[in-house]
Amino acid sequence: MTIYSFWIFDRHCECIYHKDYKRPYRQLRSKPDLGSDSIDEKKQQSGGPPTGKGPLSVDDDAKLVFGVVFSLRNIVTKLAGEKESFFVFRTSKYKLHFYETQTNLRFVMITDLKVDGIRPILEQIHAGLYVEYIIKNPLSPVEHTNGVGVNNELFSLGLDRFLRPLSIFE
Amino acid sequence: MVVYSLYILNKAAGLIYQRDFNESLKRLSSNDYLVLSGTFHAVYAIASQISPVPSSSGIEVLETEKFRLQCFQTLTGTKFLLISEPRQQNTDAILRRIYELYSDYVIKNPFYQIEMPVRCELFDRHLATYIRGIP
Repeated sequence: MTIYSFWIFDRHCECIYHKDYKRPYRQLRSKPDLGSDSIDEKKQQSGGPPTGKGPLSVDDDAKLVFGVVFSLRNIVTKLAGEKESFFVFRTSKYKLHFYETQTNLRFVMITDLKVDGIRPILEQIHAGLYVEYIIKNPLSPVEHTNGVGVNNELFSLGLDRFLRPLSIFE
Repeated sequence: MVVYSLYILNKAAGLIYQRDFNESLKRLSSNDYLVLSGTFHAVYAIASQISPVPSSSGIEVLETEKFRLQCFQTLTGTKFLLISEPRQQNTDAILRRIYELYSDYVIKNPFYQIEMPVRCELFDRHLATYIRGIP
C-alpha cells in the first residue's frame, strides 16, 4: 500500500498544503516557451504523450488535481443531488481519494491501487490533526492564503507519524 | 443488479447515446447531459495527466454514496459510461457485453454514420432485453 501524495485545498480553491511521499515519475510537460519553436510547442501541446522540456511544477499539478476534483463533484451533484460527493475514483494505475468537510475544506490523497477505504483516514487527519494543530492554533490566521499557517511543524510531524505506519515507503 | 443509465460518448466528447433504465437518478435536460459528457471527457483526460506513475489510463471507476460510475474506453476513443447502484459487481462484464451489442447493432448497421447519435432500434431492443435480464 503506497501513498503517492497528499493535498489540502481550502474553500477558496487554493492549495494550502501539499506533500509528495513517493513520486517514481514526474510527468514531463512542455511549458509554453516564448521563443523560436513556437510551432513545435503547439504540436506537442495538442494531445499526444507528454514530451516536455521541463517537469510539471507543483503549482500546475495542484491546479490540475483541483480541477479534476471540482469537475467531478459537479458531475456527481448534477446526477445525485446537492449533498452528494464522490469518495474515490480509480484509474488503471492509481486511486484518488477525496473527503470534503462541512467548511468546504477538501482533502485529496493519491495512492496506488491496493488501497481501499481510506475515507476514515482522511476524516481522522481532519479531526485529529488539522483541527488540533491548525484550527486550534491561536497564532494561525483564519484564511490560509498560500499555505500560511498550515505549514507548521506539529502538523507535518503529526501527519508523518500518522501515515507512515499505514503505508510502505520504499 | 441495478443499472441506472448508460451513456456513450464519441471521440470528440459528444454524447451519442443516453438511456435511463431506472428512475432513481434525477431527470436532467438534454443540455445537461451534453455538458456532463463534455466535462467527463475532459476530466478523463486530465486524470491520466496527474498520474504519479507513467501511462495511466483515465478514470475507470468513480464511487459515490448513491451510485457507481464505470467507464470503458475502446481503442477507437469511444467511451461507455455505466451508472449503477453503489455495490454493483461485474460492471466490467456488463460494459463489455454492451460494447459487443454496440458493435453488432450500431457499427455494423450500414445506415449508421460513425460518431453520430445512435438511432438504431435493434440496439435499443437488445440493450433493454440484456439489461432487464441481468439477475
